[in-house]
Parts: sequence; structure tokens; C-alpha cells
Amino acid sequence: MTLVEFFRAAPVAPDILAPSLWLIIALPLLGALICGVFGKMMGRANVQLVACAAVAGSFVLSLLAFWASSHHNPDTGRLAAIYPNPFGIERDFVRYALAYDYGTWFSVGDFRVNFGLMVDHLSGILLLIITGVGFLIHLYSTSYMEHDAAYWRFFAYLNLFVAAMLTLVLADNLVLLFVGWEGVGMASYLLIGFWYDDPAKAWAGRKAFVTNRIGDFAFLIATFLLVLLVSAFTQQSNAADYNTAGTTVNHYTAALEKKGPVTFKGLEKLAEGLVDGNADKVDLSTPIEAGPLEGYTFGGVMTAAMLLFLLGAAGKSAQLPLYVWLPDAMAGPTPVSALIHAATMVTAGVYLFSRMSALLVLSPTAMATIAIIGALTSLLAALIAFAQDDIKKVLAYSTVSQLGIMFMGVGMGIFWAAVFHLMTHAFFKACLFLGAGSVMHGNGDETDIKKLGGLRKEMPWTWATFLVATLAITGILPLSGFFSKDAILHGVHHNHLQGLEWVSSLVYYLGLLIAASTAFYMTRVYLLTFEGPRSKEARVAHAHESAWQMTLPLVVLAVLSVVAARYAFGINFFDMTSQPVLDNFLSPVFSATKRITDASTLVALDTSRPQVVPDYLKAWAVALAGGGAAAFLYLRYFPARVGRPDPAFIRAVRPLALNKFYVDELYELIVIRPVKFMSFLLFRVVDALIIDTVAVRGTAWVTARVGSALRYVQSGDAQAYAAVMAIALLGGVAYALIQVMQ
Amino acid sequence: MNIELILFGAFALLTLLSAGTVIFARSPINSAMALVSTFFFLAGIYVLLWAHTVAVMQVLVYAGAIMVLFLFVIMLLNLGESPTRGKPTVARIAGGAATVGLFAALAIILLKIPAAPATLSTDAQASFGTIATLGQVIFTQWLLPFEAVSLLLLVAMVGAVVVAKSRI
Amino acid sequence: MAAQAAAREAPNRPMVPITYYLLLAAALFCMGMFGVLVRRNALVIFMCVELMLNAANLTFVAFARMRGDDLGHVSAFFVIAVAAAEAAIGLAIVIAVFRSRGSVLVEDIRTMKH
Repeated sequence: MTLVEFFRAAPVAPDILAPSLWLIIALPLLGALICGVFGKMMGRANVQLVACAAVAGSFVLSLLAFWASSHHNPDTGRLAAIYPNPFGIERDFVRYALAYDYGTWFSVGDFRVNFGLMVDHLSGILLLIITGVGFLIHLYSTSYMEHDAAYWRFFAYLNLFVAAMLTLVLADNLVLLFVGWEGVGMASYLLIGFWYDDPAKAWAGRKAFVTNRIGDFAFLIATFLLVLLVSAFTQQSNAADYNTAGTTVNHYTAALEKKGPVTFKGLEKLAEGLVDGNADKVDLSTPIEAGPLEGYTFGGVMTAAMLLFLLGAAGKSAQLPLYVWLPDAMAGPTPVSALIHAATMVTAGVYLFSRMSALLVLSPTAMATIAIIGALTSLLAALIAFAQDDIKKVLAYSTVSQLGIMFMGVGMGIFWAAVFHLMTHAFFKACLFLGAGSVMHGNGDETDIKKLGGLRKEMPWTWATFLVATLAITGILPLSGFFSKDAILHGVHHNHLQGLEWVSSLVYYLGLLIAASTAFYMTRVYLLTFEGPRSKEARVAHAHESAWQMTLPLVVLAVLSVVAARYAFGINFFDMTSQPVLDNFLSPVFSATKRITDASTLVALDTSRPQVVPDYLKAWAVALAGGGAAAFLYLRYFPARVGRPDPAFIRAVRPLALNKFYVDELYELIVIRPVKFMSFLLFRVVDALIIDTVAVRGTAWVTARVGSALRYVQSGDAQAYAAVMAIALLGGVAYALIQVMQ
Repeated sequence: MNIELILFGAFALLTLLSAGTVIFARSPINSAMALVSTFFFLAGIYVLLWAHTVAVMQVLVYAGAIMVLFLFVIMLLNLGESPTRGKPTVARIAGGAATVGLFAALAIILLKIPAAPATLSTDAQASFGTIATLGQVIFTQWLLPFEAVSLLLLVAMVGAVVVAKSRI
Repeated sequence: MAAQAAAREAPNRPMVPITYYLLLAAALFCMGMFGVLVRRNALVIFMCVELMLNAANLTFVAFARMRGDDLGHVSAFFVIAVAAAEAAIGLAIVIAVFRSRGSVLVEDIRTMKH
């Protein structure tokens, strides 16, 4: 029985489960509420129980939903998953999805947003990662945070994060997704600054928040652009456009009426309608005739929207130019880094583009930009990671780098591989972070890898799992990281964007370089932490292994990072040319994307699989080269040179990488300083002078002067008041007199 | 020159004289007594205006009840002549001047308005201002305000007790 | 009573113009106001307030006579009742103030607190 067949018989029928999808979000939200409000009174054990149970419950529901999304009715043998989205009925749409619409969330004029949730295979995978890894990390935290007084706040935030992230992936429209998008940003801010009495950590939280805010702004503008595109499309299109989209004008407008313009399914229809057909009135080069976007072409606006989404995704997923917040985000507790800043939240950008792949493939320019941004970010972060001595910092830059690889995949249209890498990365990076947390926990919160060393014997479980995860991220056969990274690199190499063919080669060779760099810095971290003699500067003489609550998640994640490799193999295991399992599994999600790329010449997607010779060998050689170089340097070269100065080359390069290529300083110079100067001007001139001095203090001064002048009138003498009344009365009568005289 | 005008002139003169005494008498007792006479003369004026009921109430309530209250308080507080004269402050001068000006303005306005008494039919003359007519109006059309006034008096009574009592 | 009878018996005789009554009321009102503004003794001020109220009553009654209906009388009736209440409360306050300050002169009662 294959995996696909196994999933075809869901234990809970989809039509029963669909109306309860909201519970997946509600459970962690309730947990957050309980922990946040009553946590202090409930005590540590109860808070842990509530928080873990909420996520566990959510995990079980997610599992059922995931399962139900592939459900076949055993009697009819047909797919039974329900998808009551009015956009959903189409030419060759396979309903591998579970969705429920809870009705209007809000409507303004004819703009309407429904509260609709959807579990298809893409969001299903994300759901399982979020709740599954999330649960492991909750479990881990019960031990990791055992000495922290604010445990209830921690678990409340963590549950809140899970709820927000689930909203993000369950949303069936952009606006609801944006709610989750903002929610995870807020939870991330709260958790990075969890130890807010340390100004540096609180500052790191603010940095993350502000950086994300820049991206969120772009996200919103992009959403508005899409709304305008939809309305322009409905005004200008003819019947042939809807034929291309596999629907009719009545059906499409009725669905828009019912669901609003921002649902993903509706946007997919829009994308399909924009593909050039023969009798079409509207395609990408058609100018928009009316509205705020008048004169621009559909394709141009689409590219602009996608580039804005790229900026939004760059904020959330830590890509150039907005990646700077992520390394600082390590100020938060380590489980937070593992969950939010490695496994889930930072992959939101990858999820967003996968979700909107149908729109993305309409714009080769945007795709190339995404791929190049991803490659550059990845390379830069990998190089910075070379010289970082803080174990969490290395992992943080590694995360940025791996996210860059995913962006490369998304940008070059190899969506399934990007999602696959997202998944494997969630496993091994969470494992690495939790391993690092375990190391810190056992070594008196030491994070400097130069001051660790030799932990192999003292922390066997941590060592073993860390080794597995390191091998996975390094890309050593046959662990999952190898396959996911190789799938991306292969796709990048063979997919082509129209007019931008050079991007494939550029990104591919950068990718090889990144793979080697990854192997180098990960080997370095591993060697310095676990191998060799114990450092003389170590904080504690003997490290202790962590409790089971911490090692169990490590083991589970390590196992997952091994077995996830199965999804890269063909449906027929030994057939190296058959479609990979995950590709097949995700094909319903990307069906519209595929139709568009088949129909247009914008993007040429390759479906070949990487072969052992030469692809695997090449990738393996690259990984080994990087790892071998690190092993040589840190096992032989540097230990032998203790006491002697480093060679000139290293002396020249090292500070550059150590100081993160001065990117923070560059931002300081070109962004923060000017902004600060503007702020200073605004503060001095507008705020201090005009508002404070003239408006506020001026008003107060005048009032005070008038008041002290009037004080003499307020003598308390009732007769004086009466005299004023009399004079006023006289005034009134005098006015009447004048009226009478006239 | 008819009797009505003579009576009006006499009552008006006496009223104003009494009122002047109220204002200028140095002792509060004298003021109070002058006030009583003002009320009496005013009652006469009311009669000239055919307002018999109001005239009777004027005597009963004002000259009777209210004045007794005043005298009672004066006696209770044992107030005599003030030993010092008040200083003419700015407020007093301004207030006095304003009052004179107000009277001048009012006088000019009033003289501009021609106002003559209504000519009433014999039946209307017989019932105008009688207690029967007034009572009928008050207990039908103005019943609610009348009850409200009774409540007001009750509240005033309780309030006076509460305020004036040194210890409750 | 004699005047009234005379007026009723001979309605066509020239009568006292209402303007005179109104002028008398204005004078009375202004005298009362003058007393309120000038006198120091709170009791006398109250008496002057009564004068002012009486002036208002006189206006009501005069206008009632002018219009030939007795609504003005009803108003005067209510004014008298309110004046009674006002006098009761006002005098109670005068007593209370005299107890606490030992004086009924308004110039001694300037502050709101002790």
C-alpha cells in the first residue's frame, strides 16, 4: 500500500470535519488566553499542561484535516474532500482540499472578505509542521524554561504564535492571511523581547518588528493592487477570457460576489484568465482602461504586485534587504528561535509565494528578482556564518541562508522543492536550534562555540541528534536535506524564465557555492562544539545531558530529518525518472500554475529528476569539499597553529565576515542616519518648536496669563459676580433697546 | 383725573418709598418692616389690576409667612445695625451704575411699547382674576406644575431643616 | 375695592395705561437689583431678591390685565410658591453660614472653604 492509498481513507469524513476547522486555530488561542490571564494563579505545571494540550489538540485536528483532504469515498472510489468554494468548480480541478466558509467577515461597499478556511495539501503540510514541531517545542520548553519566573507569559505567547501561524496557513484569502501574517509578527516581537529587562533584547524585538513592518506595508499595497486588478479584469474581459480560466463570466462574477476578490482560488482564476488565448480580450499586455491603474498593463501591475509581495516576504522571511532582524532575533529564548525563527514563521514568505504561484508565474521579472535575491541573501548569510562564534548566530545566519535557497526555488518555479526544503529545514533546523539550546542549557548558557568543545561524550543524545541534523543540512546522502536542496538546485538549473535565461545559470552556480559554504560553516560549528578537547574557558567543568522533555523532541526531529527524504523519491521507489512523491502530492495545489505555464511561454518548467550521475555526485562532491575544508581547518590546521598568528588571508577576511560585512553599519549609514536626521529635524522644528513651544506651551502660556489676569475677577465676592451679571443684563437690554430704536 | 389713576399713583409712590427704605435702611429690622409695607402696597396695585387672588396671596404668603421668617431669622441671629459702613468697591459702583443704566434702558423700551388694558365683556369682568377661575385653571391645565411646586416646597422644607440644623 | 368696582362699572372710561405698571415693575426690579449689588448684609440681600421677584410678579399680572386672560396670575402664583421655598432655603443657609463664620456680611463669606 502506498502512502497515497493510505491517506485515501480518512478516519473522519471531510464533510464532518470541515465546519470544525476553526477549532485548529481556536485551541491554541484559547490556550494563550488561559495561560495569559490565569497563568500566574494556575501554577507552572498547569500552564505547561494547558499550553501543550492546546497545541497537541490542534495537532490531532490538523492530522485529521490533512488526512481528510485526500479522502476517497470507499463506495464510489471518488475524491470526497469538500471544497465549497464557488471558484472551485473548474475544468480539471481535483478537489484535494477541505474548506469551509464561515460567511462574511466584513464588507465595505462592494469589497468583501469572507472568513474562509482551507486545508489543501500545501497548507496541510504547513499545518502539520506548525502543530507538530510546535508541540515538540512546547514540550522542550517545559524543561528549558523551568527556571524562568515568567513561564506563563512565555507559554501564552507561544500559543498565541501557533494560533496566528495557523491562521496564516489556513486562510483562504489574502486578508485573513494578513491577519496571521501580522499576528506572527507580533508574537515574534513579544518573544524576541521576552526578557525585556535587558535593553539589548528588547531592542532586538523592536528591530524585528520595525523591519517586518516595512515588509507588511508592501504586502498591503500589493493586496490592493490585486483587488484593483480583479475589478479591472471583470470590467474588461470577454467570454474567451473566462474560457481560458475554465469558467464562465456568470460563474466568476457570482463567485466574486459571494467570496470577495482576494481569495486565492479567485486569484488563480484571474491568473488563468490573464494567460494569452486566441480570442482573449485581456492578457498580460492589455492596458487597463479605467480606475486608478489606468494606462498600466495587467502584466506590469502583476509584476509590481509580485515585487511588493517579495518585499513583504523578505521582511517576514529575512531576505535581502530586510534580513537584518533575524540574527538579532536570537535574543529570544532558544525554543522560540527554533519554532519561529527557523521552522515556521520565517517560511511564511515561501508559503505565500507557493500559495500564489499561479500569479507568480505570470511575471518572469518578479521570479528572477526573487531567485536572485534569494541567492544573494543565501550566499551573504553563509559567508557571514563562517566567522560567527555564537552558536545561535551561526544557526540564525544558516536559517537566512536556507531561506534564500527556498526563495531560489520559488523564484525559479520549482515550488514543490521549495516546500520540500521548507519541510526538511523545519525538521533539521529546529533540531539544530533545540540542540544548541540543550548545549546552552547544559553549559551554563554558554553560546560561544570557542568555549565549548568535547561535548560528544557528555551529552550523547544532543550530540547524536545534532550530528544527524548537521549532516542533513550539509547535504550528505541520504539525509533529507540533500534531496530537498538538490531538488531545488536541479530545478533552478533546468527551469528557464523567458528573456532571463541567464538567471538559471547564475543562480545555479551561486547555489553550488552556497551548498559548499553551508557544509563548511555547519561542520565548523559541529566540530568546535562537540569534537576536540573541552575548552579551557568553559563555564562549567562538566556539561550535563538535558532532561527527556528536551532530548525527546531532538530525537523525533532527527528521525524526521532522516525519513523525510522519502518524499523526494519517485512514486515508484526505484524508478529514478518517476515523479517525486511530494511533487505528486502537491500537484493539485499547483494545478492552476501548471495550466498557466503549459499555456504560456513565460516560464519553462522542467520535470526531469536529478540523476545519480552527474547531479548527486556533483552535489555530494560540493558538500564534501566544504565539509572537508572545515574539518581540515578546524581539526588539523588551527589546533596545530595555537599561539601563532593567523595567516594574512584569514586576518584580512575574517573581520569582514565577523562584522557581518558591515551590513548593519551600511544600513545605519544609508537608512537609519537619514531617517534619524529627518526625525531629528521633525523633532526639533515641527515637534519641539511648532507643536511644543508654540502650540502646546504657547496655548498654556496664554491660558495661564489670561487666567492670572482673570484671577482678580474671581475674588469670591458674590456681589462682584452679581455685578457682572447685572452688566451682562444691561448689555442684553441695551441690545434690545437698539433693536427697538430701529 | 380719575380715582384709579390717583390710587395707582399713591400705591406706586408708597411702594417705591418702601422699597427705597428696604434698600437704604441701616438696620435689617427696618428693612424688613419696610419690605412688609412694600408687599402691602403691591397688593393694592394688584387689586388695581383686577388680580384679587394674587393680591390676597401676596398678603398671606409674602407679608405673612415669608416676612415672619425674615423677622424670625433676624431675631434669632440677633442682628443689629452694622457698626461699619461697607466700602464702595469697584463691583458695587459698577453694579449700581449698571442698575441705573438698566432702568433707563427699560424705561425707554417700555415707553415705546403702547400697552392698554384689555377691554373685557361683562361676563369676563365678573370672573377675571377670581379665585374660582384661577383654581379651575390651576387644577386642570396646570395640575402637574402645581404638584411639582408642592413637591418643591416639601424639598425646601426638608432642605431648610438639613441645612440649618447644626447637628443631625 | 372701590377702584375695581368703579372700573367694572364704567369700562369705557380712560384707564391707567399698563405701561405705568410696567414702569413701576421695572423700577422695583432695579431697586431690588441695586440692593442686591450694593448691600452687604445677606439678609437684606435676600429681601432685595424678594423685591425683584415681586417686580416680576407685577409684570406678569400687568400683562395678564393687558391680554385679558389670567395665565399671568397662574405664573405669579407659582412665583410666590417658589419664592417661599427660596426664602426658606436661603435663610437656612444664612443661619448655617452665621453659625460657622459668625457673620452675615457677604464680604466675610468670600472663600469656599473654612
